[in-house]
Amino acid sequence: MEMITEGTDQYAQDSYAKLFEQILLEMGITNVLEKVRILIRADDPLFVVSVKMRKAAGAKPIYDVAQLDDKEGGVMVSITDEGYAPRLLALLWKTFGRDRVEQLTRFEIYIAGATRMDLWEMRISPEEELKAQVLDAIWKLVPEGLKIRHTFSSPDVMTIANTEHGFQPNWLADAEKLHHEMEAD
Amino acid sequence: MYQVLMFDGGVYKINEFYELIEDIGGFVIQKTTIQVQILVTFAIPEEDRGIIEKKTRELGGKLIDVPLAGSEIVVVGPTLGRHHMPHPICDIAESLRRYGAITVVMGLARGRGKQTAQISAEEKAIIEEYDAAVFVVGNFRSCVEKYKYKLWEDIQIPVVATCGPEIEHLPACEAQVCGIGRKVERMRRPEEIQKLEEVSSKVIQIVLARRRDVDSDPLFVHPAEIKDRLDGLEAIQGSLRPAPVVLHVDGVRAKVPYDKYKDAIAALEIYGRRLGEIADITPSRMEGSVLIKIKSRSQVEEEDAAKAKGSK
Repeated sequence: MEMITEGTDQYAQDSYAKLFEQILLEMGITNVLEKVRILIRADDPLFVVSVKMRKAAGAKPIYDVAQLDDKEGGVMVSITDEGYAPRLLALLWKTFGRDRVEQLTRFEIYIAGATRMDLWEMRISPEEELKAQVLDAIWKLVPEGLKIRHTFSSPDVMTIANTEHGFQPNWLADAEKLHHEMEAD
Repeated sequence: MYQVLMFDGGVYKINEFYELIEDIGGFVIQKTTIQVQILVTFAIPEEDRGIIEKKTRELGGKLIDVPLAGSEIVVVGPTLGRHHMPHPICDIAESLRRYGAITVVMGLARGRGKQTAQISAEEKAIIEEYDAAVFVVGNFRSCVEKYKYKLWEDIQIPVVATCGPEIEHLPACEAQVCGIGRKVERMRRPEEIQKLEEVSSKVIQIVLARRRDVDSDPLFVHPAEIKDRLDGLEAIQGSLRPAPVVLHVDGVRAKVPYDKYKDAIAALEIYGRRLGEIADITPSRMEGSVLIKIKSRSQVEEEDAAKAKGSK
């Protein structure tokens, strides 16, 4: 992971780079990010974090995390890897609608009007969850007092600009420029 | 003068140790038993240290100097949010406890931010109940230099300020330690432990200076003597709090409701006088506690003289 910091306060740049590394390490998501840029202008105050995600590898087929059994009128999904349960349920809701998906117990889901072959090709992508974890890491990093925020988002780059009272137009322009530079990298 | 020490040893014949402390006119402040190990914090007359050292050797224990024993220190952070807690605030508090202090950790309601950072009168009053305060602020030089010092500038007790960047002089504090700032993990590296030691040593200097100030016009009684009397109160004996009576440099905090027990506390007898005569007893801002500030000998004599004059 490449980490670049810029700004007006050298101590803050060094310490926040180290803090972010420690936060990512603690959350076990160091290898999720390809590049990080942090812009700190404490006098304004402006704090911009921009992260470029690596392409998420390893979308799991549904049969790797659950057992599929055809039943009368539907299919029974028995979850074998609980870590994937929330994402699996969300995927089933999205595909079949909430009316047809019934969660019987913590590990058992029944889908009415479907067969195991309908589910066979489905894959669970870790991307959304990783994005949520990266966002959580960013919220942990951003100084608590900088409550006014603006975000720029594209498929693999997230940029969050933070200030205390309100953005000056050129601050947001600087943050947007940084976002586009990260996209172009 | 009394000296506060800590005994670290086994429970074998520990009663003989307690009796000796009592015989030489000392007081047990706190006992912590961990299986067969026991830690006893106690106050004894300075000149009798030799007797206690001899007994400690006999019992196979060791005697530890705890320069902050008998003091209560507050460690203050900008908020209680995850950006500031538990590190480094709790690490600093733990380091102070190793030197015998009772510590309290406090987060301000609106201490975060730069221009928006503020401290309320209520928060100041709470902080001023303690013997010294450690303020822990962050990593932005301009923020610390121009704004954050305002959090402690009106505090009437000694303040140690800690921050991240190396700043030559922080205003309105008795001591400063730079190079700490925000942390997201425990301070356990050698250079970080060194910083914790630095904070503790600054606090020790401050507390010792306060003790010297108090000694220049000595208190009517040592706070440990008041603790000894308070320990006899039923409310204190029945208290479930880990330290129902906490010593301060110039008084005591008793963790019982003021309204219910103020009269019983004021009526306690010490050297033939009511506690209410030789100390100011007030409710603490921390609910359910009483603050007892001991008057100096000269103050008590002055008040006695004024009373005698008034009665003539």
